[in-house]
Parts: sequence; structure tokens; C-alpha cells
Amino acid sequence: MNVKKIILVEDDPDDCELFVTFFSPRPDVQLLPAVGNGLELIKFLDGIKTDAALPHLIVLDQNMPMMNGRQTLQFLRDHQRYARIPAVIYSTYTDTSLIADCKKLGARIVATKPIDDEGYQKMMDDFLAVI
Amino acid sequence: MERAATDVLLAEIDALRAQLVEANETLEAIRTGQVDALVVQGHHGHELYTLKTADHAYRVFIEQMTEGAVTLNSSGLIIYSNFRFANLVGLPLSNVLGREFINYLTPECRKDFGKLFEQGWKKSIKGEVKITVGSTHVPVLLSVNRLELEDEIALSIIVTDLSAQKENERLLQIKNEQLETLNQALIDSNHDLQQFASVASHDLQEPLRKIQVFSKFLKDRSFHELSDQSKQYVDKIISCSLRMKILIIDILNYSKLSADDEHIELVELKHLVEEIIDDFDLKINEKNAIVELGSLPIVEGNKGQLRQVFYNLISNALKFSLPDKPTHVSITVKDLDAGELGLSLSDADQYCRISIKDNGIGFDEQYASSIFNLFEKLNPKSTFEGSGIGLAIAKKIIDKHHGLIIAKSAVGRGAEFNIVLPFKYRRQ
Repeated sequence: MNVKKIILVEDDPDDCELFVTFFSPRPDVQLLPAVGNGLELIKFLDGIKTDAALPHLIVLDQNMPMMNGRQTLQFLRDHQRYARIPAVIYSTYTDTSLIADCKKLGARIVATKPIDDEGYQKMMDDFLAVI
Repeated sequence: MERAATDVLLAEIDALRAQLVEANETLEAIRTGQVDALVVQGHHGHELYTLKTADHAYRVFIEQMTEGAVTLNSSGLIIYSNFRFANLVGLPLSNVLGREFINYLTPECRKDFGKLFEQGWKKSIKGEVKITVGSTHVPVLLSVNRLELEDEIALSIIVTDLSAQKENERLLQIKNEQLETLNQALIDSNHDLQQFASVASHDLQEPLRKIQVFSKFLKDRSFHELSDQSKQYVDKIISCSLRMKILIIDILNYSKLSADDEHIELVELKHLVEEIIDDFDLKINEKNAIVELGSLPIVEGNKGQLRQVFYNLISNALKFSLPDKPTHVSITVKDLDAGELGLSLSDADQYCRISIKDNGIGFDEQYASSIFNLFEKLNPKSTFEGSGIGLAIAKKIIDKHHGLIIAKSAVGRGAEFNIVLPFKYRRQ
């Protein structure tokens, strides 16, 4: 099976825990240790020596301290090494302007945070479909 | 002898007084245009002096006008003044004539007048000065013109009292400042509303979503460990948090309507309503409802907002149904001139009327306008779920479109919502 390496960028510990709870049983997903904001993500990515070891997907929360989802998208888009990695946004509340902004910055999907297992699995299926 | 001489002198004085009165009366008559000709005893008998009709008209005009008018000679002496000017400076006319005009001005504006006086001989010119009236100053506008008289050149000055205008300007200034303050307050309050919307959109929803997630966890993973009572509590937490979620989203949508959204396009209402009916497919099947859609017009408006109006009204029509009766909803165009809405529009052909009618529970018509208030609900939560915002949103949108929404109903006999919309959107 083709296992995808996924990194979650999320500052909320509950949401990090939910990610692990819902996705660690999935055989098609390998969760990398989550990071708390965009700056931490950049540090993490810069520390990876070979391109092959880079994650297959970056899942970004929108509201984060220091560097939020939108700003992180912009950074990724502007750096050749990372621009190819598919990135998605997921947020508690998604309105039309957030969706439009994030799509413009290269987000493949802008998703609303689910509230149950079914919603989480469906969201991950959608994410994997854009890789 | 002395006494007789005194008597003669007194008699002469009386005669001269009478002549003076007569002369003043004549002058007054000439001033006010009551006299067109004068007969004067001259060296060659009676001489007739006629006043030219053109002059006559202007004389009347000058005396009657509300502005002061003076004529100055080359050394700045007043050789003519109308009553209004004498009135303005608070002196009898006789005291004004022969005086230097500049004397009536406040010292600080005499230099300005000097320039006006100098240039006025060459071209028409205007300037603002202040004249002294007793202990106060009156702002006036001087309109200075060179005047060619028969035997000499004079300077005519029209003196316009600017007190009222200045006062108006001052009041206008105050009003403008007040308006500015109010406007700022409005901007602030709109900003607050936006802040609130953003708080509602994220900060309130984040913890709420957690409640939803963890109460579902409790239900899915530990339900068997709970007592029957506790299971009920969990179900209540889940349904309450769902209701709160709906409430927050609705409040958010309502507050967003205040933001400027002037995206106006031609909206095919029939097409719009067809889409909404598709969205309600499940509910319509579940209730076995019949939805009848007539041909609807094309209007100018904000498509997203109009969609919201019809969505809310159709949602209500399906929701407030009678349990023992098949639900029937009709969305049709009706005649606006019928007068049954209590409207009289002079330009009725500029509007359309769309009726959304159901055969549901209806309501007492005394609530026909209060149902559009925010959070107004007529039915207990236990029977009909809702936030009480749907109709408030509909009304706010129709208001923004300069239309009307009118509800008609009776308990148990269905409800009809009439939307009166202008075909053409009127921009602010």
C-alpha cells in the first residue's frame, strides 16, 4: 500500500489529539509529529535533508499564533522546494472570503473541521484524493 | 415792538417747519415712487419735472429691496443712501448723507475697504467687511460698481447683511460636526458588529465544536457505561450544541448583511426557487408535500441574498405544517394592484408581488409584523425548532432591496408571505 506522510500544523492540543485518534488506525496514512504553527513547520521542513523525505501533504489550521494558515500557504508557494507539496486548510469556520483567499494562495482544499469520526474519515479521503 | 418781532419770527419758523415737512413728504413720495412728476415754482413760472419711468422702476426697487444701497463720490462721501442702509447702521437717513462711508466700518477692515474703493472705479468687485452698529459688528458683503451719472462718476455699493447667512453657516458647521460625530459613531458601531461577527464566527465556534466532538465521543465510545439518565443528558448536550451552532451561524449571517454587499445582478427568480426546491427534496418527500411553482419574474438584486429570502420562507412553509393535512406550498406571482395588501403605489408597474403560501398552522394576524423581529418566535421549541432569525434576515434583505414583505395569516389556516420587489435595484 502506498502510505502517505502527512504533517499537521495545528496549535490546539485537542485537535492534534483528535487527528491522532481518528487517523492513526488508517493504514494509508503516516502521521508525522504535529507542529504548532507555520514557523515551526518551516523549521521542520528545512531540517529534512532529502526531497524524498518531505511530507506528501501539509494540513494547516487557519488560526495559529505567529504564522497562520494563510501566511504559511504564502510562504510555501514562494519557495520552490515546498511549492510542489500539496497543502490544505482546515478551520472551524470557513466563509467564502477565507475559501477564496486560501485557494488563491494555492490551497487544494479548504475544509471545515468535522465533529465526528465519519466526518474526519471523509475529510481525509478528500485530502488524499488531491495528492 | 420786540414782542411783535418775536411773533413774526415765530410765525416764520412755523412756516419754514411746514415747508420742511412738505419737502420731506415730497422726498418720501419720490423715494417710494408715489410721484412721477413735480411742479416747481421757478424763475420762468411753474416748471414741470418728470421722472423717467425707467428711473422710477429702479428707485422703487432700490427703496424696497432688503439690501442697503449707497452711492459714493470720488472722495468716498455718501451722496445717496436708501432707507435700508440707514436702518442697518441705526441712524436717521439725514445723518448718513454727506458722511464718509468708511466711518461706518470697523477699524480693522478699513484697509480692505480702501482696496475695494480703489479697484471699484475700474471694475465690479465684491468683498466682505464689518460695519459698526452701536456696540456690535455686522458682517456685510459689499458689491461695488462704477456708476456713470449724467454729470459725474460715482461708486454704487450694495450692502448685503450677512448676519443671517453667517449664523446659518455657523449652525451648518455645528450640524456638520454633529453629523461627523454620528458618522464616526456609526463607523465604530459597524466595526464593533464586524468584530462581534468575527468573534462569533471563530472564538465561539471553537469551544462549541469541541463540545460537539467530545459529547459524540461520549455517546459513541462510552454509551454502554452510562446509566439511562446519563444517556439522556448526553443526547441533550448533543442536541443543544447543535442548536447553538445553528444559532451562531444565523446570527453571523444576519450581521453580515450589514456589511456593504452591493453585488447586483439580474436574478431569474424562477430558476433560483427551482434550485431551492431541489435542496429541500428530502424534506418534501418526507412530508409528501406538494410544491407549486408559477412563472416568476426576473429582478435586479443580490442573488445570494434573495436566495436566502426564498430559502427561509420556503423552509418555514414546509416546517410549520399541520400533522393531519398534506402540505401544500405555492410560490406564485400575484396582482399588485389588488389592494388587499393595503398598499397604494403610484408606480405599481415598477414592482412585482410574489406570494409564498402554505396550508400549515398559520398564526394570529396580530403578530403579522412582530414575527419579523430578531429572535421572535411564536411556537415552543419543543414543537418547532428554530433560531427566530430566519424572518428577520428575510425582512432585512427585502428592506435592502427597497421592497416590502407582508405576512397574512390566521391560526390553523396557513400563512401567506408577500414580497413586493422593485424590478430595478435602487442604489443608495
